[in-house]
Amino acid sequence: MFGKGLIKGLGITGKHLFNRKVTEFYPEQKPVLPPRTRSSMYLDVPKCTACGICANTCPNNVITITSGKDENNKRVLTGYTMDTGRCLFCGLCTEACPSKALHTTTEFENAVYVKDELLWDMMKKYKADASKQEEGKDNG
Amino acid sequence: MPQFGSDIFLLIANWIRGLFGANTYAADVVMDIVKFIMIYVVLVLAVMVFVMLERKVCAWMQLRVGPNRLGPRGWGQIIGDMIKLMGKEDFRPDNVDKWPWALAPMFFLGITIMVFAVLPFGRGMVPVDLDLGIFYILAISALSVLPVVTAGWASNNKYSLLGGMRSVAQMISYEIPLVFSLLGVVMITQTFKTSAIVEAQQHVWFVLLQPIGFVVYVIAAMAEINRAPFDLIEAESEFGCGYFTEYSGLRFGLFYLAEYANLFLISAVAATVFLGGWQGPFLPGWLWFAIKVLFMVFLIMWFRWTFPRFRVDQLMHFGWKVLLPLSLANIVLTGVGIYVYQLIFPGIGG
Ligand code: SF4
Ligand code: SF4
Repeated sequence: MFGKGLIKGLGITGKHLFNRKVTEFYPEQKPVLPPRTRSSMYLDVPKCTACGICANTCPNNVITITSGKDENNKRVLTGYTMDTGRCLFCGLCTEACPSKALHTTTEFENAVYVKDELLWDMMKKYKADASKQEEGKDNG
Repeated sequence: MPQFGSDIFLLIANWIRGLFGANTYAADVVMDIVKFIMIYVVLVLAVMVFVMLERKVCAWMQLRVGPNRLGPRGWGQIIGDMIKLMGKEDFRPDNVDKWPWALAPMFFLGITIMVFAVLPFGRGMVPVDLDLGIFYILAISALSVLPVVTAGWASNNKYSLLGGMRSVAQMISYEIPLVFSLLGVVMITQTFKTSAIVEAQQHVWFVLLQPIGFVVYVIAAMAEINRAPFDLIEAESEFGCGYFTEYSGLRFGLFYLAEYANLFLISAVAATVFLGGWQGPFLPGWLWFAIKVLFMVFLIMWFRWTFPRFRVDQLMHFGWKVLLPLSLANIVLTGVGIYVYQLIFPGIGG
């Protein structure tokens, strides 16, 4: 029948008028992202052997590693920076890491006001995170 | 039969007239000014409500919640919108035709406001009760094609001009079914007077006697005011914003205001001619009128957010090959109906 589609369309929009809305009230209500979302990086510093495989794997040359030797002549990490302005969060580096030190995380509020802040010092980040966890433990 | 709250505006009007005593001329002048201001105030308030309603309804139909920051549940967003529009720079592009460009939005709004003069907002609440009310509505609203094409031409921009040209083609094609759809009601009531048409619907609304006329009217009127699915004139995906591509700030605001005023207008005419105007039980007349107008506005918004836009050739085919014959057939049917009615009940009606 001519015009049946029109009625059907009106029916659908009419139903949607009363259906539950899907809008998330973002700043007040944080979204629940799937666990494998890749939107941020996290380095578990003690696990890292400073092998440099991640830096070699990265197609965009994001990761810069500096390393030194400790008293046992063992290589230790002295600096780990990521220029996230170039990072795709593709996750290649995390897959390449043999000691599973590097992770992708679901944290996503990474916007910054100045370009220099895109340079992440992963060791500092780890320390800040660890101290936060310490505090949490003390309080709890 | 005074109804509660129904005559409050009439009382105020009488009080104002009373202030001038025997000087009826001064009273008339003052009343005309008051009426004009009232129309303007009602118009602006209604447009504010409609804009908010449109944003909310479209959001709900798309499973969103719509504006939700300013005011309770975001219903105050319109205030932010207005401040934004008014705060913008009054920017005139180089090479526009200065005077026509500046005057077009004012005329567009002015023409729309003029039409409101003959609408019955309630019992005895017709600002100017012309004998040729319906005729006046059609004649004046037909003028609104001129500012649109002026704006398109004066903008000195090919997209604006295309929008303006399309508006001429569309408005003229749909003007004819629009007029014919109202003619059926005029044939039944034998008057052009808006107040008399409302009076005639005391027992039965004309939407029941003239269903075809009503449908044709709604479709043609939506095309007449360029609302989606007939918004070819400002089809964003085809040419920016049509005739008001070059407008910004307050001038754009005037077009925007006029657009929603036109929505108010066609809903009000539909309510007056087909839905019984201010007639209704219990509630005061002006409230019934407002309810019916809101119902029509909602209906038109529902169509807008459901149907996709026509193609230009489809638009023309639909106007000339479907709507026009339909409205003509409606007139013939109405004529036959009136004739048969008079044979059965001789002496009733004209
Ligand atoms: S996620 Fe991809 S782009 Fe980012 S550092 Fe790792 S390999 Fe490089
Ligand atoms: S690949 Fe893993 S262990 Fe090696 S440097 Fe990178 S993060 Fe450290």
